[in-house]
Amino acid sequence: MTTTTSSPAGTSTAAHTESVTKVYGAGDTLVTALDNVSVSFERSKFTAIMGPSGSGKSTLMHCVAGLDTINTGRIFIGDVDLSGLNDKQLTRMRRDTIGFVFQAFNLVPTLTALENITLPMDLAGRTPDQEWLDTIVATVGLGDRLSHRPSELSGGQQQRVAVARALASQPAIIFADEPTGNLDSRSGSEILEFMRTAVDKFAQTIVMVTHDPLAASYADRVVFLVDGKVVDDLQSPTTDSVIDRMKSFGA
Amino acid sequence: MLKVTLRGLMAHKVRLIATAVSVLLGVAFMSGTQVLTSSVSASFDKVFADVYASIDVVVRSTNEVDTPFGPERTRISESVLPTVIGVPGVEAAEGQVVGQIKVLDKDNQPLVTAQGPPNFGLNWLDSPSLNGWTLVNGAPPVAANDIVLDVKTADQGNYAVGDTVNVSATKGVQSFKVVGVAKFGKLETWGGAQAALFATPTIQTLVGEPGTYDWISVAGQNNVSQTQLSEAISKAIPSGTEAITGAEFTEESQSAFQKIIGIFSTFLLVFALIALFVGSFIIYNTFSIIVAQRTKELALLRALGASRGQVLRSIVLEAFFVGLTASIVGVGCGVLLAIGLNKLMQSIGFSGPDTPIVIPPVAVLVSLLVGTIITLVSALFPARRAATVPPIAAMRDVAVDRTGASRLRVAFGLILLALGAFMLWFGLNGNSDSGLQIIGGGAFFVFIALTVIGPVIATPFASALGWPLQKASRITGRLARENAMRNPRRTSTTASALMIGIGLVGFIAVTAQSVKASTVDAINQSVTGQYVVTTESFGSTALPQSMATDLDNVAGVRVAAGISATFANVGNSGKVILAVDPDAISQVIEFNDVEGSFVSLGVGQIAASEKLAKDKNLKVGDPVQLVFLQGGATTLTLTSIYKTEFPIQGPGWIISTDQFNTLVPPSQQTYSAIYIKLDDTSSAGVDAALPGLKAVTDAVPGAKLQNLNEYKKSQTDQVNQFLQIVYVLLALALIIAIVGVVNTLLLSVYERTRELGLLRAVGMSRRQVRSTIRLESVIISLMGTLIGLVIGIIFGWALVTALVDEGITSFAIPWSQLVIIVIIAILAGVGAALYPARRAARLDVLRAISSD
Repeated sequence: MTTTTSSPAGTSTAAHTESVTKVYGAGDTLVTALDNVSVSFERSKFTAIMGPSGSGKSTLMHCVAGLDTINTGRIFIGDVDLSGLNDKQLTRMRRDTIGFVFQAFNLVPTLTALENITLPMDLAGRTPDQEWLDTIVATVGLGDRLSHRPSELSGGQQQRVAVARALASQPAIIFADEPTGNLDSRSGSEILEFMRTAVDKFAQTIVMVTHDPLAASYADRVVFLVDGKVVDDLQSPTTDSVIDRMKSFGA
Repeated sequence: MLKVTLRGLMAHKVRLIATAVSVLLGVAFMSGTQVLTSSVSASFDKVFADVYASIDVVVRSTNEVDTPFGPERTRISESVLPTVIGVPGVEAAEGQVVGQIKVLDKDNQPLVTAQGPPNFGLNWLDSPSLNGWTLVNGAPPVAANDIVLDVKTADQGNYAVGDTVNVSATKGVQSFKVVGVAKFGKLETWGGAQAALFATPTIQTLVGEPGTYDWISVAGQNNVSQTQLSEAISKAIPSGTEAITGAEFTEESQSAFQKIIGIFSTFLLVFALIALFVGSFIIYNTFSIIVAQRTKELALLRALGASRGQVLRSIVLEAFFVGLTASIVGVGCGVLLAIGLNKLMQSIGFSGPDTPIVIPPVAVLVSLLVGTIITLVSALFPARRAATVPPIAAMRDVAVDRTGASRLRVAFGLILLALGAFMLWFGLNGNSDSGLQIIGGGAFFVFIALTVIGPVIATPFASALGWPLQKASRITGRLARENAMRNPRRTSTTASALMIGIGLVGFIAVTAQSVKASTVDAINQSVTGQYVVTTESFGSTALPQSMATDLDNVAGVRVAAGISATFANVGNSGKVILAVDPDAISQVIEFNDVEGSFVSLGVGQIAASEKLAKDKNLKVGDPVQLVFLQGGATTLTLTSIYKTEFPIQGPGWIISTDQFNTLVPPSQQTYSAIYIKLDDTSSAGVDAALPGLKAVTDAVPGAKLQNLNEYKKSQTDQVNQFLQIVYVLLALALIIAIVGVVNTLLLSVYERTRELGLLRAVGMSRRQVRSTIRLESVIISLMGTLIGLVIGIIFGWALVTALVDEGITSFAIPWSQLVIIVIIAILAGVGAALYPARRAARLDVLRAISSD
């Protein structure tokens, strides 16, 4: 257990939670999705969150990303306490300091690939840094596809656009929710390679939720969740070591 | 499958609200106006039955002339009365005299205004079996200056027995002594109309003609039937007169009134149908969207073994339930609306007393049928599309409906458009009598063509309209533009509903503006006078001829020329015949001779306008046979064919005032307008003449003195009033169209839940979400408005061009009004987006991105 229970927000964490609890329902139907979770995500690292279905891994990500509310505890992005923010401030936080890659439906169907990539910056009224944009586009290899609409792109290409969008605004942290869940293994590996590259080359912080041990093996560290509790933490994972750990939870 | 339908209905009830509302509004308007007009009609049926209850037989002239106020009859001579009384079986017979008068209040103003109920003057009948009036106070009128008022008039004017009351009629204001106050049966008025009663000779001079009656009322003895009595009397009376039963007489009056109500009712019905037609677009759109959103569900049903027919039937059944329910509620609302309006009309004295609400079963049935059938038919196309969903679609991702520009659609739309354009051209250039109907048909086809072709032009249109928005508000504008373009069929159907309403508004606005401009032009070109005296009354209560003489004598007046109107049958139809002093009128209004001499028009002669002479193929010297309402059959010689820009009423027949005075009794020798020319026409001279003129006109209640500018304004104001009524009636169609915009946006927001969630997740603020929806709404609204206005202007131009012979010579576009319409459309677009935008902005981001 490497949970950092003591905190003033250290400069080495991009985000961290302090004793976060999240419950759904009430009375007999009460479900504890997150049970006193304290976890931190280091800067410029690729962290994977794993766990069986219903373990609370997606809920944890949604809460840390400011998409969902919690019952008790505190969540920090950098040194900003999310619980003190209203909808407007949360929106701005998502727009300016967080990047997202979802499992599916990542792109606005009416916008071109390029417009989708620059969407967060357009929403903020900022002009994208052209040089950086070119670098990203070259990295994910989308050069000739920029003026296409999502419906004209393959699933793998769509996810590449989504990764490019997440990287384009150089956010403090990127959250990826099962980014390869809908892809064949080749496209999936490509996406994971890009994320790995982003961490290694551009020092990007990435947190990824997955149930795929192979995907998790691309990360620097894996946090295991079972029944809403952090049960394990694995550094420098391999596919096999992840599978072994998972077997030990009976998942 | 019935279970599936019902479950579907419950599941989509929110999405079906707009459909129900649009059907409900149209049906409520339709049934409400029908119930109201039926009730008013029934109320007046009762009034006529009450008023004529005591009459068994009516003896009257056979000469009938159609007038704009309904058919009128020549008076009958007193000399017929003794003959009638002598017929066996007659218990009592008396001549009845009826005419319009103005009972004045203590400030010498009419007690009943021109907008109120009619104010009648009648003779008091002595025979108790014929006289429906009973005195509440005082005695019957006997002396020449005696008057009996009905209870309401006495109350309103605060008059009591012994008071002096002034009455205005042809000879100016006359004073009478109130000798009694009476009620009619149990009513305070003469069945809604206010009345004053006089001795027979008095009312004959006041509104009729000494020695004549309007008709003779007969009461029979108890043992004689109305038919027997009328047959017996028919044999005794001279030629030129006829006897009909009281029942027939009542029925005639009732049906004459029903005809007027019928025209009004049809007029309202047209607007109800327009509203329902607009509503059909919303129904079509709702079902299209629901079907698109349910593709997976329908495909699953198909995969599980449901046949195409079953899927089709389930959608049609859903439409049937919605249509029927909305129609039933609509009829209920309509009846409530009618009750409310009826109360309102009673309170302003327009309707008859204690009007019961009549709910005609036919109107209810037709409203229900129309509402239900329109819903069914509008849902049929979406239902057919639903039936063609292949079972495999259950396994596929739902494809976005981007269809629109199919070749068949383009071809069909262009053919319809060409047909509409051809009809427009033919209506304008073909020498057909039914040019207007052809243009109207052309307008219909153009509307349909644009509806068909709409999805094809929607994308470029939305793109063009959205372009400035994209420039102005970047990403929200860009998304709004794309959203308006992404589903051309939906956008165009929504815009089409608005296009129809706005098209009609534009058409009416352009036509009205042209009529106003033409009227002002015509007055400018033809009237050389400086003042005009007008009145809203007609016949015995209009302007006395002596008034023109009095005005002529005012210092500074060069000439005061009056215009009168009477009616005559020319050929088989009733026509308005104008009467003027040709020499005087020529000095105030320009008349140009085409043939013969207008100025020398005299007794035994008649003039015709150039157009009339051409149409009837007349030349100077031809005899013209007329049967006047009063004055009988006369042959006049055509001595003048004239041309004038002046917008005169009627077909163009003009006789001299001298001739007119030989045809009508002194009580009817009045002018409907007097035109005044001054010696000094400078503005100082015009101002200087005013006090003298005013002194004369103030003495005649109801006379309105206007300078030429005021006169022009009052003429155009009449058009404006009509315009306002039409706008109010079209408002319903526009409201339904706006409901359609709200509906489409709401359904789109629902459909784009995930997309909105994504946008929110990557940082779109609620404000930006609202702004995107709002801009999309404005694009759709502007699209419908602009296309509608263009069509409206084109057809307004066509109508004006076709009516050039009717005196509409100028084509004018009311630019300021059109700009206001566009601004209102933008505001309506913003307003329509309020709720959908709120819904979109309130979406729970997490649920939006994780929803399946």
